[in-house]
Amino acid sequence: MDSEHATYATKPTAFTKFMRTFIPWQMWRFAAINLKMIEIIRRSHHGDSPK
Amino acid sequence: MSRVVVLGAGISGHTAAAFARSWLGRGDTVTVVSPRPDYNWVPSNIWVGVGLMKAEKVTFPLAPIYERAGIEFVQASAREIHPEGDPDSDTPYVTAESADGAITRVPYDYLINATGPALRFDKTEGLGPEGGHSLSVCLPGHAVQAAAALEEEVERMRRGERRRFLVGVGHGTCTCEGAAFEYIVNLEFELRNRGVRDKAEITWITNEYELGDFGMGGMHLKRGGYITPSSIFNASLFAERGIDWITRAHVGKVEPDRVLYETLDGKQGEQEFDFAMLLPPFSGVGLKAVGRDGTDITERLFMPNEFMRVDADYTPKPYEDWKASDWPRTYQSPEYRNVFAAGIAFAPPHAISVPRKSPNGTVIAPAPPRTGMPSAMIGKAVASSVVDMIGGADAPSHTASMAEMGAACVASAGANPFTGTAASMTVFPIVPDFERYPEYGRDADRTFGEIGLAGHWIKIVLHHLFLYKARLRPGWRRIPE
Repeated sequence: MDSEHATYATKPTAFTKFMRTFIPWQMWRFAAINLKMIEIIRRSHHGDSPK
Repeated sequence: MSRVVVLGAGISGHTAAAFARSWLGRGDTVTVVSPRPDYNWVPSNIWVGVGLMKAEKVTFPLAPIYERAGIEFVQASAREIHPEGDPDSDTPYVTAESADGAITRVPYDYLINATGPALRFDKTEGLGPEGGHSLSVCLPGHAVQAAAALEEEVERMRRGERRRFLVGVGHGTCTCEGAAFEYIVNLEFELRNRGVRDKAEITWITNEYELGDFGMGGMHLKRGGYITPSSIFNASLFAERGIDWITRAHVGKVEPDRVLYETLDGKQGEQEFDFAMLLPPFSGVGLKAVGRDGTDITERLFMPNEFMRVDADYTPKPYEDWKASDWPRTYQSPEYRNVFAAGIAFAPPHAISVPRKSPNGTVIAPAPPRTGMPSAMIGKAVASSVVDMIGGADAPSHTASMAEMGAACVASAGANPFTGTAASMTVFPIVPDFERYPEYGRDADRTFGEIGLAGHWIKIVLHHLFLYKARLRPGWRRIPE
């Protein structure tokens, strides 16, 4: 059982937790994360359609 | 005229069939053989399993979709592949058994095996919802059962009882730890929402060496001036949510109120529970291959774990010698040029996580995940190659190596449009390439993760977008995998 390990885990501050659901900040993150994901999708497709 | 047959209508098979149909001429046929009548958007089963969504919201009947698209649908379980035909005909075919036991013979010119996994609850005594003592969210029916059991637990806690929840994987060789992770954090979030969190003791049990491995050897994320392993983020989330954890564990037996497990150091342990959701290990679905003369040639097409051999390097070698180039690129069978495997049905050359055994010889290491985005991309690449080969190409023209592609993943951590969160992650590549990225095996600029409400919004958008795409509604081809 690793229960004591939780004592040594990193925990978020109140500010970090607030920002996770702070809507104006999250709207910005929504756009930023989408751009990151689109970049991954673009790099991962190698000319999908038949030649 | 060419006949393309796709075995399986999951994420990979459905994608392959839909694209093949859209690219081929009307003189060619595309046939899907699948035992289930419905499509299931599996990632959202998590929300069904915590009672937030009805099963009907994550499934839809395939027959009308395929009829509209011009795809033939045979509702049956594939049993045998006859890649050389039989003494009467050279035409390759598969046999499929329907629910009433009738055997159908389905001839093909090109075969795409996308049968997905068999859920091997039988590998652990007492595991699973069918005759066992634990729950699952692998199938919509399982998730409905889990939601009903959770509802009963909530009622007991409302009456003041304390209840113990155990979530994770039910065998040392399981994969899909990410799905179980989503379930445990959604469960915790729901118990809070329903005002009974203080009555619940929640424990995670996993075969991962460290939290956050997810069968991918973990990830290293650039945050706050450090390159930080995913284990730190995972432990942080569990500690914040009051979730306890047991790592490096092989569950050997599930009893009505406890699991018995062994850890990598060889020690035996047990954990009591009132509610357990434990995912099973996977294998292939047990397809047989038969030669022209009726001899069993299964070993030529399949590995012992029943997944299909493709263009991977299956030479057994130590972890230190594993390479990104071991992983398949075209998913073509080395034995038959017109046979391919896509999604979970292909045999990986080896794991991604470091292989480990306990002193007793028990393997306790996650199998490699190959679900979601990579499965769909593999299905599409295979369909492209098949269409090109029908058009005269000598060899597969498209590749989709998991060592060359990235993945974007959103793991729900609580579903609410204002207070919910999800972990948004990208990795590039999925299979680490230590020759290209010597330190961590992945591109640190494209391997990323953060938790927040934005991730939940993205998860909701993806749920609707991918179901729209799977229903082959107008413009579906423009939605990426």
